[in-house]
Amino acid sequence: MLRRVRPLARRALGVRRTPTYYLPWLSRPGLECVVVLNNIESRFKTGFNQGPFPASLTQYDAGGVVVRRYAVALGDSAATAEVRLEPPAPSGAGFVTVEGDRIFSDQYVTLSDGAAYTATHGRHEFVEAYPWPARLLLAVVGALLASIGRTLPAFVRDQYLYLGENCRSHLLVMNLSNVVNRVRVRVTREGGAVAARLMTLPPMGSHLLDVSSLGLAARDATAVLRGRLEGNAWFNVYVVGAGPKDLAGPLSLMHVK
Amino acid sequence: MSSDDGALLSATFWEAGYEHLVELVHQRDALAHRRLNSLDVAVYDAAGTRLGGAPVDPRLEVLDLSALVPELAASVDRAMVTFDARYDTRVFNYRPHHYAFLHRLGAETPPLYYAVNAVLGGVPDRIGATNINNFETYVFRRQPLGARFSVVLGNLARFATAEAQLFAYYGSERVARDVALGPKAHVLVEVASEREGRRLQRVEVKALFRLASYVVGRRVDSGDIVLFDHLFTYIK
Repeated sequence: MLRRVRPLARRALGVRRTPTYYLPWLSRPGLECVVVLNNIESRFKTGFNQGPFPASLTQYDAGGVVVRRYAVALGDSAATAEVRLEPPAPSGAGFVTVEGDRIFSDQYVTLSDGAAYTATHGRHEFVEAYPWPARLLLAVVGALLASIGRTLPAFVRDQYLYLGENCRSHLLVMNLSNVVNRVRVRVTREGGAVAARLMTLPPMGSHLLDVSSLGLAARDATAVLRGRLEGNAWFNVYVVGAGPKDLAGPLSLMHVK
Repeated sequence: MSSDDGALLSATFWEAGYEHLVELVHQRDALAHRRLNSLDVAVYDAAGTRLGGAPVDPRLEVLDLSALVPELAASVDRAMVTFDARYDTRVFNYRPHHYAFLHRLGAETPPLYYAVNAVLGGVPDRIGATNINNFETYVFRRQPLGARFSVVLGNLARFATAEAQLFAYYGSERVARDVALGPKAHVLVEVASEREGRRLQRVEVKALFRLASYVVGRRVDSGDIVLFDHLFTYIK
């Protein structure tokens, strides 16, 4: 039902979708976040496999502010470039977009503690742009619903979360739109315990949802939690894996569909 | 089981000492109608010998391999686990793409969350199976780091031996290795992180047909897995 209504609503509101490739970033003391840019998958794409391949990266912080831009050129389709993301603060999170007319590969983002690294790749999706009347409408409706802890559930995602004494998965929630995105997460665990949280993400902003902060106690055995996220505009999540030192230790990032 | 059902055969690799939780479907919704029609799980050793397996209740949301596999595979350190699913394509109009949570018990390393390799099936025009999906690549960081890498390959065919070539690139140098896998057999191929002072840049896998394939990275100091990722098809 929602799937049929959404395109009509988008048309009525005048929403534009711009194809965008993006990756998450995270900064923590002792962790280095590096994007490995490549165009290897263009090797067999006739007409697109001759370098150089210029590309640029735009880094957004959690507040949705562009904090840095990076320009890179890949000499050929087998070349790689490692772009160390400079965090605006020792601890932070957000996403970077990758622009390049002839870049066709999936890009990698890595988190390293200096000894080894974890890695995942970005997603080729889109960013939604709402015209000002639609932004105004969403602001009014969103504020009303927020007063009772709710949001307009235009987009819904179900995502399992893991919570144990020695390991857990957090969520990096990214607002891929130019409107304030109120994302409500509701988490349930076996036995009926429920936790809910309403996050307010500025345009192009992000929020690192700490699963430990939801008030569900960690046990020895890793518990599987059912998470449901609802947002008033397009958003996506990356899973953030944390070990016994939680967010102060080495971390992993992982995309989801 | 209806003949109109969709089918998906996916696979992962279990190792002793890890908590390994496999989500049977992704994004199960609150109404719980997003479930498989049936699921058979089977466990194979490196030679392709079936160590055991059983139908799994498709109402189960997450399967704990660390509980299931050791009973069946007590004699091996690594096993290939296959998931043979049937599903209603009206419920999963894409495919029941599933993920897993992997963590070395007692380790400092973070858990990994990864996409379980879809090997056969799905909806062909949606998963790109009309293109070649058995020519894959993966890129590595070049900075010297304390990790060692390998590629684990599994043949999910019932009757046919699969031949594959694994290439590792170090600058302009290419190191090739031929692999032949009998039905349901698997192999872990170590890939040197450095060769004559040049760092590993990327690997490629070429096979006659689709194999289960993951890139595995481990910390040199502890051996903990820090990378367990699918490769990327060249032809999209």
